[in-house]
Amino acid sequence: MASGELALSTAESRPAATAAEPALVERCRQGDAEAFARLVALHEGMVLNLAARLLGDPEEARDIGQDVFLQVYRTLGGFQGRSTLRTWIYRIVVNQCRNRQRWWRRRRRAALCPLEDISAADEARLATASADESPFERLARRERARRIESALGALSFDHRAILLLREVEGLTCEEIGTTLALPVGTVKSRLSRARDGLRRGLGREGEERP
Amino acid sequence: MNCGRVRRRFSEHRDRALAAAEARAITAHLEACAQCAASWRSFNADLDHLGSLPVIETAGEIAAGVFDRLDMERRQPGLSLLFRPFGSARPLMLPSLVPAVFVLVGVLTGALALGRAAEPLPTVRLSASPSTWGSLLPPSGTEGNPLFSMSEVSPPRVRSGEVVPSYLPAHPGPGTVFLETVVARDGSVSAVTVLGGDSELARPMVDALRRERYEPARFRGRPVAVSIYRLFSRMEVWGGV
Repeated sequence: MASGELALSTAESRPAATAAEPALVERCRQGDAEAFARLVALHEGMVLNLAARLLGDPEEARDIGQDVFLQVYRTLGGFQGRSTLRTWIYRIVVNQCRNRQRWWRRRRRAALCPLEDISAADEARLATASADESPFERLARRERARRIESALGALSFDHRAILLLREVEGLTCEEIGTTLALPVGTVKSRLSRARDGLRRGLGREGEERP
Repeated sequence: MNCGRVRRRFSEHRDRALAAAEARAITAHLEACAQCAASWRSFNADLDHLGSLPVIETAGEIAAGVFDRLDMERRQPGLSLLFRPFGSARPLMLPSLVPAVFVLVGVLTGALALGRAAEPLPTVRLSASPSTWGSLLPPSGTEGNPLFSMSEVSPPRVRSGEVVPSYLPAHPGPGTVFLETVVARDGSVSAVTVLGGDSELARPMVDALRRERYEPARFRGRPVAVSIYRLFSRMEVWGGV
């Protein structure tokens, strides 16, 4: 399949995509490759970025992305629509990343790569995304991103996943509970601890104590 | 509501998960307490910055990769498991155990095959007779098998009854002669053959033996032809007085 056929716009509005989701899923179940390519195009940005933040490694995230959509393709027949497709895919991403991190931990590799180790491609991406910034602003933003990455990396995997799903992906506590198979109360308490942990990682510990 | 309790509610307040009365109390405290207000702004800013982390741009390569892998698995499902690229550092999940199981089974099978006791050699069937030739040859003493053991035949006897044959004194000088004499069923000598020694020295003995007459040898009461082998040695002995 030519890559040009897959270069679908990912800028489709989320409500429109959600409305068309059942038909898209049905076409994918019938083996429609074009429909599956469209489904991938709709969700690959979310999958890659969530995996990159969970693992702290963009290259690992690209590798995970293929595994995630391969699992989506194989298990789409079992998707019953009790949650949204997006939530279902989140669950697959988190599980794949958890497995990957366990695998790396068994091999004594550092769980996260610091942001200083980003590749030249990532550096160019950062520069392109902030072309209208002054060099000082760009440096400050990069320093802030580095500190946040470092604080995220200090969290446990479960806390990191909950925090990212809530703050970055915008899921509600109920959706996070569905994604991670956790009670809502557990999600809320873990979310609170994860936020506190992030603040501690950012050196805001003194501000928490009046 | 004191500052510590307010700040412990920051997380739920951000999610608007507090009861209306508690949320109003926190809002009132934040308006009155500059330190808590600054901490609240910092709290929200830090969490909002999570969304400003570097974003990975996608170019549709994932779908192509997924279709490539699906296509490869359709064509060669076994090989895709066996020849997974090691460089990709992909975690080895349950499907990757399949080739390991095959290898393990192969090793165990080989070990069992090598450790198994050797096949027993085929049993050699022994004949009940003392000689293995007995089962292959016709009965002894017949036309098909003229051989027979000495225990079954009475030897031929010289009719003259001489203790020392008369030809021996005529034998000149020391020497050794080996002779075969064939005694026919009627007792006559049908052939005398020099098997060893000087034939010139043996000539008197051969002539004498040809003239001999025998009581024929008998096998189960019947006269049979036999061969007699003789070794004659003559030496001179000198003794001192």
